[in-house]
Amino acid sequence: MSTIAETAPRDQARRRARVDGWRWGGRVFLVVMLLYTALPMIWMLLTSIKSGFAAMQFPPQWWPDEPTLASYQKLLDPQNSVGQDFLRFFWNSLFVSTVTTILSVIVAVPAAYAFSRFSFPGRNFLFFAVLLRNMFPAVIFLVPLFILMRLLGLVNTPYSLVLTYLTFGLPLSIWLLKGFFDNIPIQLEQAARIDGATRFQAFIMIVMPLSTPGIIATAIYSFIGAWNEYIYAYTFLNKNDQLTLPVGIQRFFSENTTDFPGLMAASFMMSVPVVVLFLVLQKYFVRALTEGAVKH
Amino acid sequence: MTIVTGEADARPRLQPARSGLLREIWLHRADYAYVLPAIVVMLIVIAYPIYYTIELSFFKTPPGLQLRDKTFNGIDNYTAILTSDVFWRVTWNTMVWTVASTFIAFVLGFATALALHRDFIGRGILRAVLIIPWVISAVAASYIWKWIYHSDFGIIGAVLVGLGLTDRPPNFIDSVGTVLPSLIVVNIWREFPFAMIMMMAGLQTVPDQLLRAATVDGANAWQRFWHVTFPHLRNVSTVTILLLAVANFNSFIIPWIMTGGGPSNASHIWITHIYELAFGRQRWGVASAYSVLLFVILMTLGYFYVRALSGDERKEGGA
Repeated sequence: MSTIAETAPRDQARRRARVDGWRWGGRVFLVVMLLYTALPMIWMLLTSIKSGFAAMQFPPQWWPDEPTLASYQKLLDPQNSVGQDFLRFFWNSLFVSTVTTILSVIVAVPAAYAFSRFSFPGRNFLFFAVLLRNMFPAVIFLVPLFILMRLLGLVNTPYSLVLTYLTFGLPLSIWLLKGFFDNIPIQLEQAARIDGATRFQAFIMIVMPLSTPGIIATAIYSFIGAWNEYIYAYTFLNKNDQLTLPVGIQRFFSENTTDFPGLMAASFMMSVPVVVLFLVLQKYFVRALTEGAVKH
Repeated sequence: MTIVTGEADARPRLQPARSGLLREIWLHRADYAYVLPAIVVMLIVIAYPIYYTIELSFFKTPPGLQLRDKTFNGIDNYTAILTSDVFWRVTWNTMVWTVASTFIAFVLGFATALALHRDFIGRGILRAVLIIPWVISAVAASYIWKWIYHSDFGIIGAVLVGLGLTDRPPNFIDSVGTVLPSLIVVNIWREFPFAMIMMMAGLQTVPDQLLRAATVDGANAWQRFWHVTFPHLRNVSTVTILLLAVANFNSFIIPWIMTGGGPSNASHIWITHIYELAFGRQRWGVASAYSVLLFVILMTLGYFYVRALSGDERKEGGA
């Protein structure tokens, strides 16, 4: 009796000490990762509120001597040409991303539902064919798609991008949503069917509301993908008034590469919409990954 | 003997199976309507380009997109590629880029997920901050880091000089030796959050009872991780690593914007090289042949990808 009583606390103490070692290691590691992640972004913000002259100094001004919002004012002022261009790029990006998002939800939801519920011949083949899309680099599709878009008369229109973005967002969207649908008990639908609902009604009234988080996650994913896409936009769009933000900014600043405050301000403003959207809705996204991709 | 009996067994079964398949398809015809939109879009934007790329790879093409004037030249494009020095240089770069980025991003992401698994004050905020690099555009990330690496006014150079480690700020992305590692650091910055999210999601599926049972049995933290947590995460890890590897293999934006493949091809990877061949030098035929080679490599990777995924599927069916 006494031996057990003596050894137990000592064991516990030793275990606690060891666990604490790991925990401290974890904390230090997290701090390092936080610095790695955050310092570049902080430096972007600090540079964006310097004047062009203040940014080009060595050693650098760690904290801007005379902080100024001039770069932001220039980008957001519809009166001058820089602001006009920037705001137009912004609008183009918003349009393309929103249309892509809406369409991809409309296409992905029924497809994922079918993959989850029905067992038609070729189901597995089609499912993996859809997933395999992820494997192919954009470059493989560039030339033929460019020719295809020219054939369809879509070059230099936002719709060439919408059509392309739809496909590269679909695989993960379908995969995530399938995971969600798999977790909804089929009995719920059967009950609705018995009560006289058609399959479609059961789908709209039972399955859709229960899978809202998955649909939101899918929508975020499509939106961010479309917003950040560069290579197709770079190839399909030539007219200055059609460019989306990533390409627009690049065209813009490759002409005068010395305006780093302006470039940093533009990078920041380009990041704001997706970061805000993601932070507001991130719990859906993480949940969708847990239920859709991982548990499976 | 056994083969013959095997065939004899199989033949009678085959016949009903085939008519059964048609009947099955007919019976399920309504189900296809759900998948049809996705399939149609995929066919237009995927099947046609793949076919066209393969066709072009056997042709000599004139500059410009006057592709009607192309002439058949057999496998000349392929032999030209495989015998060029640039090809091997670019292939080596691609391997270094893909393996280093994937491995380090995965390890960092996994470790972060483990460190974030225990609840503490500010965990949600910390997680959100760590995810941001993955969300922002790669174009923005490239410009941010280009500025950080700037050879005259870059902050890293300034810090190194300030600490007295060097006399002059180093040329991170303008010198052959350091450009690829420097770009890999940027790529990892953008990608480790993805591994982190995936592994965090995976960690939630590890049953607490098992961990507690292991503790009772006297397992220490490392043993609990190695014998309980890690085996549970094997599938998630495979999928995450494959997704990262494919994404890295296909990266374009970071090298393209930060260096354009230079200096002297030191940071060209396959995709940027193909892009330059096609849209820079207008050698569509050679670029297509490159794409087909790439495609073959990716299909090999894809085989493992599908196997990892269908491994999940099978388990689900058994459960």
